[in-house]
Amino acid sequence: MKKKNSFVLILTVAFTMLLSGCSLPGLSGPAKNTVAVGTLGTSESQIMGNIVRLMIEHYSDAQVEMVNNLGSSIVQHQAMLNGDIDISATRYTGTDLAGALAMEPEKDPEKALEIVQREFQEQFDQTWFDSYGFANSYAFTVTSELAEKHNLETVSDLEPLVDDLKLGVDNSWLKRKGDGYEGFVAEYGFEFGETFPMQVGLVYQAAANGKMDVVLAYTTDGRIKAFDLKVLEDDKRFFPPYDTSLVARNDVLKQHPELEDILQKLSGKISTEKMQELNYEADGKMKEPSVIAKEFLEEHDYFE
Amino acid sequence: MDVIQDIIVYYSQNAGYVWEQFYRHFLMSAYGVLFAAIVAIPLGILIARHHKLSTWVISLANIIQTIPALAMLAVLMLVMGLGTNTVVFSLFLYSLLPIIKNTYTGIRNVDHALLESGKAMGMTKFQVLRMVELPLAMSVIMAGLRTALVITIGIATIGTFIGAGGLGDIILRGTNATDGTAIILAGAIPTALMAVIADIVMGYLEKKLSPNKKRKCTQHQQQAT
Repeated sequence: MKKKNSFVLILTVAFTMLLSGCSLPGLSGPAKNTVAVGTLGTSESQIMGNIVRLMIEHYSDAQVEMVNNLGSSIVQHQAMLNGDIDISATRYTGTDLAGALAMEPEKDPEKALEIVQREFQEQFDQTWFDSYGFANSYAFTVTSELAEKHNLETVSDLEPLVDDLKLGVDNSWLKRKGDGYEGFVAEYGFEFGETFPMQVGLVYQAAANGKMDVVLAYTTDGRIKAFDLKVLEDDKRFFPPYDTSLVARNDVLKQHPELEDILQKLSGKISTEKMQELNYEADGKMKEPSVIAKEFLEEHDYFE
Repeated sequence: MDVIQDIIVYYSQNAGYVWEQFYRHFLMSAYGVLFAAIVAIPLGILIARHHKLSTWVISLANIIQTIPALAMLAVLMLVMGLGTNTVVFSLFLYSLLPIIKNTYTGIRNVDHALLESGKAMGMTKFQVLRMVELPLAMSVIMAGLRTALVITIGIATIGTFIGAGGLGDIILRGTNATDGTAIILAGAIPTALMAVIADIVMGYLEKKLSPNKKRKCTQHQQQAT
């Protein structure tokens, strides 16, 4: 009978461990002293998440647990509210103004940042950090050749040529309300000769091959650099700003008081061009985000 | 050929990361099977004794097995949140059926005459279990663990969707990358390899524990002397 009792004991211990959310040896779980960092499925988000993880591990004793591949900003937001994750690695001002806060879009990047910082503090008890220094927004992009030939710097510079230009865009953008094509025509006052909806991943190649003259790209995509494309400045500020920051729950910052200083070190450190490079390492050169993050931080000496 | 070269480049750049995820993947599967074994083997023995219970328990385990893995994870996620523990728990549930069924079959198939002789020798019920039934059923039980481990290694791949990591992370990243064939394969090949190796190792253990082989061995020894 003694054996049976010890059996029951092992069973209960194992189960309470599993259900109470204790971590199993070898698998770090969401235990009390770990900080969970959530990322999206994109390379960019995972690179930033790993940079955050390595920074925390480098400067403090806290354990960090990565929760990768969350579906969208809204999922990240829910996970933050539930306490499944403590830090979201990448949050974009434009996305969360419209998503989590359900507010009107704000075109001025500084004002937008101010609003999300204030509202997240008040509504969700979360701290929205200053931007990393890059923004992942939509941008009209042309080949460097075309830009040089016609001396293109801003979107307005396209106007005289516009009738002969072929525009390659994301499937959904043409019909989207607000910052879609209709809104664009109203704001800039011209239409492109022809428009070709396609998957957003294909527009870079299409521009590089000369199949398209102008494409609507994501500004941090590594292929902009790799294919030698030029991003035109959105001179009328048509697209809402998508400045990227990390967001942390206030109770975690209280629990680990050193975190705030550590994370603050990252603000303003990564330019859009740098992010293009890092993204290309992942998408073009098949490096894992964790490897890229480590190399990047070692190169910069962990922003000592 | 390009793909093979890409895979090699991928492994050389990310060797540490791949190994980390491989280990993590294996641990999740192993924990799932281990916890299931702790529950399912006693349960299997119990239902072998109380025959009436068996249909209920086995059909319940059967029902669990029919739930699609993605649905199971999604539902468990709502209750238990994100992370590895949720995945380990769902792997635990999927491992129950093969282990219960095999334990039940193994214990039921022990020759009645042997049980009777055990009793006649004055063994207690527990001694009969430990010295007669379990050793004879062990290889069948091991076969159950083997099936369970192979199943869980496969299912653990989708743990990536709830942020648990593992080799599924690599596969999913491949699907997001522009030209991710090599990355997808770089994640899929170790997963398949792990399942095959687990199968071979457990198969070896199963053979080792098989009572028939032991008997043969002793016969050989007797002949030799």
